[in-house]
Amino acid sequence: MPFIADRLNRISPSQTMAITGKARALKAAGKDVISLSVGEPDFDTPRNVKDAAIRAMEAGETRYTDVPGIPALRKAVAERFRADSGLDYRAEEIIVTSGGKQVIFNAMLCTMNPGDEAIVPSPCWVSYPDIVALAEGTPVIVPCSENNGFKLRPADLEAAITPKTKWFMLNNPCNPTGAAYNAAELKALTDVLMRHPHVWVFTDDIYNKLTYGGFKAATVLEVEPRLKDRTLTMNGVSKSYAMTGWRIGFCGAPLELIRAMDKLQSQSTSHATSIAQWAAVEALSGPQDSVEMMRQTFEKRRDMVVAMLNEAPGLHCLKPEGAFYVYPSVRACFGKTSAGGTKIVDDETFVVALLEETGVAAVHGAAFCYPGYMRISYATDTETLRDACARIQNFCKGLS
Amino acid sequence: MPALAERLNRVPVAASVQMTIKARALRAEGRNVISLTIGEPNFATPAHAIEAAHQAALRGDTKYPPQDGTLALKQAIQRKFQRDSGLDYALDEICAANGGKQCIYNALMATVDPGDEAVIPVPAWSAYWLMNELVGGKSVLVNCPQNNGFKPRAEDIAAAITPRTKWLILNNPNNPTGAACSADELKAIAEVMRRHPHVWIMSDDMYEHLVFDGFRHATMAQVAPDLKERTVTISGVSKTYAMTGWRIGFAAGPKALIKAMVNMQGQVSAGISTVGQAAAAAALDGPQDGVEEMIAAYKRRRDFVVEALNACPGISCHKPEGAFYVFPNVAGCLGKTTAGGRTIGNDFDFCMALLEEQLVATVHGAAYGMSPYLRVSTATDDASLHEACRRIKAFCDGLR
Repeated sequence: MPFIADRLNRISPSQTMAITGKARALKAAGKDVISLSVGEPDFDTPRNVKDAAIRAMEAGETRYTDVPGIPALRKAVAERFRADSGLDYRAEEIIVTSGGKQVIFNAMLCTMNPGDEAIVPSPCWVSYPDIVALAEGTPVIVPCSENNGFKLRPADLEAAITPKTKWFMLNNPCNPTGAAYNAAELKALTDVLMRHPHVWVFTDDIYNKLTYGGFKAATVLEVEPRLKDRTLTMNGVSKSYAMTGWRIGFCGAPLELIRAMDKLQSQSTSHATSIAQWAAVEALSGPQDSVEMMRQTFEKRRDMVVAMLNEAPGLHCLKPEGAFYVYPSVRACFGKTSAGGTKIVDDETFVVALLEETGVAAVHGAAFCYPGYMRISYATDTETLRDACARIQNFCKGLS
Repeated sequence: MPALAERLNRVPVAASVQMTIKARALRAEGRNVISLTIGEPNFATPAHAIEAAHQAALRGDTKYPPQDGTLALKQAIQRKFQRDSGLDYALDEICAANGGKQCIYNALMATVDPGDEAVIPVPAWSAYWLMNELVGGKSVLVNCPQNNGFKPRAEDIAAAITPRTKWLILNNPNNPTGAACSADELKAIAEVMRRHPHVWIMSDDMYEHLVFDGFRHATMAQVAPDLKERTVTISGVSKTYAMTGWRIGFAAGPKALIKAMVNMQGQVSAGISTVGQAAAAAALDGPQDGVEEMIAAYKRRRDFVVEALNACPGISCHKPEGAFYVFPNVAGCLGKTTAGGRTIGNDFDFCMALLEEQLVATVHGAAYGMSPYLRVSTATDDASLHEACRRIKAFCDGLR
């Protein structure tokens, strides 16, 4: 019998391995590589948050905590949900996890039986379909085209629902496109969901503080409170408070699901780091001005990056509402040959040639279940971004 | 609510949780409950570990860590295995996880297909069989009787192995008995394993440093180097350095297994808390004199508790080699009636009556797969332990 379990084969092989491996090799060879592939803010964790962590470790908060998190953090999460979106969660309807990803893992492992389906709009973070498959479910990928702003159309959601559908998974704002739904757009989707009472809603709102140009990303229960008994609202401190390394995610959900997640988590990781939990309490409950400072910086970068990419021949870049990514189309470059002599046949050859010839690392769209595009993260300082965009422009100008 | 996934039904709510809930309720009524149910040290995390976490936060070590652990932590783990056990592991044979529990979970998720069997000597931490069953495995429990010091006998392990056996799970020293196998005892088990090359060995050495009276901890990969290629050795900083809340465990084993475990962790929770990793690296590399002080305290408490329990009519308590538990036999109390009029039919009845009548919380042996016993934790200050033993004596004296 093979030693490795069959379930590991259900995880798709990493699409980004080739590109990250090459970027690492070029860097090691002393090449000037600019990585626009990172999914985390370039800012440091706010000082008040670090100080809270340091106070906690000095106060001896170094013991086991409750599996679903310290009461202070569960309460802070519930209060933050209320303050930001008017959501009505009690502290016991909150679970704290080791990063947002564990919310997805817990929820899928707790609910998916073989053959159950989860609807995942694409472009998407590949962890959604991977974790669904790991839980023996079937991901149903629904493409969302650029000409609809990479947003899911209600009719496409309706068409994807079957009697086996267990979850509809929404990432708002979205990684990798930055597309976000306002209240009216989201209401059109929740109207569909109201007609299908067997479908649960997983809304990953981890980027929802990062929206620009006055746009406000809505959340499911804000626009349709009647979905409360079948909605899981996920968020975390990683992206809003530049706390990726602390590994704190959380969600609000009906008590029965929270209890099931608690039970599963008690058998996998127990609880998130106690110190990090105290840091998260401060992030959520303390002064929020660092969030706004970061948001403003991201907005300026987004505007610059979109403008510069649209000046590159062959690229077409929408200006997204949120997150810290843009998702330009590279399809007009297909069939051309780069200055370095590489024939561009798809998004992967584009990003590999771009990396080899200019040192700029982006991620090709196939890694997000939506080829023909690339994801560019602008969570990098402005001067470096400007340099990277200029290199991309030169690369595109060199295509013939 | 859609039915939860079938896999969750395989995991009952831990029996010991009932005790904890009861103890909490009594405490809430203002009763003076002494809890001997705790599985964590009552000491403080070493100051140099806290300082390292403090510095990591301040210098901005707050970004996504590599999924297998930071280089600094992995190097510290590498030195630890070399220093403590003379084991050489390459860096790609080492990974860190959110507590020792996640190492076990990752390993089982990565290897166990439905119907695969794990041989688990009992008494044991129930998490082994619960996790194994959660991932679809079958648990084959092997009794380790008191008259053999609660240690697994090679011939009993041999009898439990079938063609479907994937793992032998050893916990040395053991939770809940404190029993630890010597190098020679492990060598006898290694002989059996040589005859069954399809079986892998998981050695959970979380309590490895907590051994007394000059006993030397031994581990399978060390005493049987030829089995190293199918052995994963798990440990962590929780018990040795009083760092339970930090959630840092680690594993070392063959590269292919470690890679599969990291792959699995990438889906469960991704990397683990950076500040926790910095603290763990400092604990492993720093001065170890705090560990000596803890060992001396645990030894003193073990000696006292074993003697005090053996003075209780109806109780017989084996003196274990390590950990911070003792596992007294209460067979002599069964069938009797307490001063409060309760009949003691089994170890659960004993625990509940002891809690209700004398306000001492322990966990019954059935929760660890062997009756009629109690697990008594010595990770409590000396004064409380003395008082608890006095109450247990009074309880036993009152049995009719």
